[in-house]
Amino acid sequence: MTAANLTAPAQRWHLRRRSDVPGWLSALVRLAAVLLAIVLVGVVLALGGLDPLALGAKALRQTLGTAYGLEQAALLATPLIMTGLAVAVGMKMRLWNIGVEGQLYFGALAATAVALNVKGPAPVMLAVVFLAGAAGGMLWMLVPALMRAYWSVNEIITTLLLNFVAVLLVGYFVIGPWRDRAAAILSASPRLPYLIPVIGQTYMNYGVLVPIAAAIVLALAIQNTRWGYEVRIIGGNRRVAEFAGIPVLRRILAVMLLSGALAGMAGMLQVTGSAQRLSGTISNGYGFMGIIVAALANASPLAVVPVGFLLAVLLNAGIVLQTQGLSVNAMLAINGVILIFAAIGEVAAGYRLVRGDPEAAVGPAEQPLRSERDDGTVGSDGLGVNRTS
Amino acid sequence: MTEATDPEAPDGRDSATIVAMRNIWKRFPGVVANQGIDLELRAGEVHALLGENGAGKSTLMHVLSGIYRPDAGAIYLDGQPVSFRSPAQAIAAGVGMVHQHFRLVETQTAAENIHLGWSETPWRASAKALEARTTQLTAQFGLKIDPSARIWQLSTGEQQRVEILRVLSRGARVLILDEPTSVLTPAEADELFSVVRSLSAAGRSVVLITHKLDEVLAASDRVTVLRGGRVVASRLTPGCDRQTLARLVIGQDMVTRLNRAERLPGKPVLEVAAIGALSDRGLPALRELSLTVREGEILGIAGVAGNGQSELAQALTGLRPTLEGSIKIDGVEMAGASPTRFVDAGVGHIPEDRLGMGLVAILSISDNAILREFKQAPIARGLRIDVGEARRFARDLMSEAAVRAPGTEVPVRHLSGGNQQRLLAGRETRVASRLLIAVHPTQGLDIGATEELRRVLMEHRNRGSGVLLISEDLDEVLIMSDRIAVMYGGRIAGEVDAAYVDREKVGLLMGGVRATPEVAA
Repeated sequence: MTAANLTAPAQRWHLRRRSDVPGWLSALVRLAAVLLAIVLVGVVLALGGLDPLALGAKALRQTLGTAYGLEQAALLATPLIMTGLAVAVGMKMRLWNIGVEGQLYFGALAATAVALNVKGPAPVMLAVVFLAGAAGGMLWMLVPALMRAYWSVNEIITTLLLNFVAVLLVGYFVIGPWRDRAAAILSASPRLPYLIPVIGQTYMNYGVLVPIAAAIVLALAIQNTRWGYEVRIIGGNRRVAEFAGIPVLRRILAVMLLSGALAGMAGMLQVTGSAQRLSGTISNGYGFMGIIVAALANASPLAVVPVGFLLAVLLNAGIVLQTQGLSVNAMLAINGVILIFAAIGEVAAGYRLVRGDPEAAVGPAEQPLRSERDDGTVGSDGLGVNRTS
Repeated sequence: MTEATDPEAPDGRDSATIVAMRNIWKRFPGVVANQGIDLELRAGEVHALLGENGAGKSTLMHVLSGIYRPDAGAIYLDGQPVSFRSPAQAIAAGVGMVHQHFRLVETQTAAENIHLGWSETPWRASAKALEARTTQLTAQFGLKIDPSARIWQLSTGEQQRVEILRVLSRGARVLILDEPTSVLTPAEADELFSVVRSLSAAGRSVVLITHKLDEVLAASDRVTVLRGGRVVASRLTPGCDRQTLARLVIGQDMVTRLNRAERLPGKPVLEVAAIGALSDRGLPALRELSLTVREGEILGIAGVAGNGQSELAQALTGLRPTLEGSIKIDGVEMAGASPTRFVDAGVGHIPEDRLGMGLVAILSISDNAILREFKQAPIARGLRIDVGEARRFARDLMSEAAVRAPGTEVPVRHLSGGNQQRLLAGRETRVASRLLIAVHPTQGLDIGATEELRRVLMEHRNRGSGVLLISEDLDEVLIMSDRIAVMYGGRIAGEVDAAYVDREKVGLLMGGVRATPEVAA
């Protein structure tokens, strides 16, 4: 009748959930996951008869090793960071804006419409065009935001569906009324009369500073203002927000419109920046990449900046490798592998590997012993998203 | 430390042992929850497991019901060693547990929840068939529920009945109830205990995890007291009294009555006249309800769960619209006012579900601390929030309210229930300069934390604020209140002076028996 009677539990390795994940660990695990993915890609390339080290060195040199590479990365990072911020601000309230792509397109459309049809001094017009882009993105978000706030219609569906409308609408304008006949380009508007000035002797324009400024402003707004505090309370527990008299519906509207505005700004920065004109391919899926950026940055506006930049480097490295004989499809696959590993790393950071009886790890045993329910995240959060901690 | 298990079986009962737990050890990071525990459950007995929160009661029963596996020790069922790998295996062997926090699918009906994951669920599970079977089960076990109601529509008491019925319906021989009365009113508890008695009469063994002494004395045949993960004593209940048990549980004599400053009631703070309101289901929840709370008094609201108490608290804090009637704070009409206006008028609110409505679990102590005052200086500077001031405010609040935590930036979910509730009570008493509305303020807290929280409420009263205490724990209402109002069917069934009332009279009012002239104040 002692412990000896107990059948020895199987000693196996298994995963155990961490109750708390420190930030440095989370970042480290993600980095390790990306490195692991690069090693895996290297092995596959080696098996294909290529020299992964030489390719890697070349890609690294041409992206991070030269001023030109860094400038190109900054240019590409601009829309990625903006769309990442657009998604991240929604995530603060557990809202998912899947329509960043569409809002980016409509913002670009609105900016182009103003730039082509209104005349004025260039600095003033740039500001006006910028606001037009933000307003366009906001407008494209208006219907989903109203439906979300007042009728609890799932914003994931509505924003997603509007993507297609916006892309096709831009397609209509650049093939039809705004087609640049002089340049004989098939599907693009004429070069816009107002462009963001280039920085000195570089390839970058001043638009690359906008995402950094936006990230800082957003971080301060969320962390250090009454408005941001209310947003965090609503995101944490909507019933508590109602308890405290916080105007929940108005904040949902505001956050969604802000998300749309950030996406619209991304579109404006494209047409007045690196693209110089509106075309049907103004975004190479930046809106969707923004979801990846925001998720990898854990919805932290400040983390969106480096994550967006690294994704830009990764995409540019892909372009470099294409010149070395790798196909576009191979590049997309490599990028996909790296991003999937990064995402896995994010989840993996929440666990640790322990040796022991795996059965004992089932259920709530991993929570510190406490007879109280230890978090309020089980069940509906009141915003239509069910989380099971 | 451990007293010898009493060799005698309860009088006139079959002493056959169903379950024997031997030398059970269970460790968690940072704590040893069970340290060599022995426990025997006999057929036909109600066995109370008594102890403070964290004494290891729930852990021990989680081990028995297959949720945890012990680090060491053995479990015998009918003399045979068993090792449950899951709750499903335990229930198949006849050991079932009803948890303190419900494990129900909120969006599904009671009938669907009862039939979830049950081998006897008919293949063609139409709503009609499931509801008919459920109705049959409710009749069989004497637990009334509406089979077609969705869980979120039910009161906590009703939800618990669904949980109990789910275990009973699977033919449990050993029924474990974890703090079953923490969500029940006395009437519902009595109902539960009559069910428990009929189950034990039929030869089942019922484990009652509790920290309420009266419950042990009233409902159990045997009591095992745990403290700090060890068995302190295991005795036949008839030989025990409250004082003995309380000493065993907390190791000191229990304070029975709270000190209160003698004072004449002041002028009315809250005057409610004939208000009406609807429940979430759109049914009348408050009907022509009237009451008054004066300065420096505690008005206790007693009543069976689901008689409008939650709706009353919400109506009086601007969280639920009223259809008619008047709510005055210091003579100012407040019906239809926003929650913010109630706070500005000096009304604080400790809501019934602290993590559901009072605190944001994933946010820090300081974020939670400033919830009522983030729009005011010095925390607010224009549209900005001064983070340094917010932390200073949180630090002050933590020391005022005795919230024990490593710092102000710790997420609230890492705090114990007692610390969470002290934080919440501290925050709300600060704004409740005129009136504090406290709903089930000590629910789920251990004895120490309960005493402390009651002292906080009493001090608030002594400082001259009005307190409206809504509690399903009748003892709490009796201990705390200056006057007691009993709610029944959305009305005040009767109002009595706390000094001249006993629980039987209140119990009658709670049960819907019309107030007799000498009871009504």
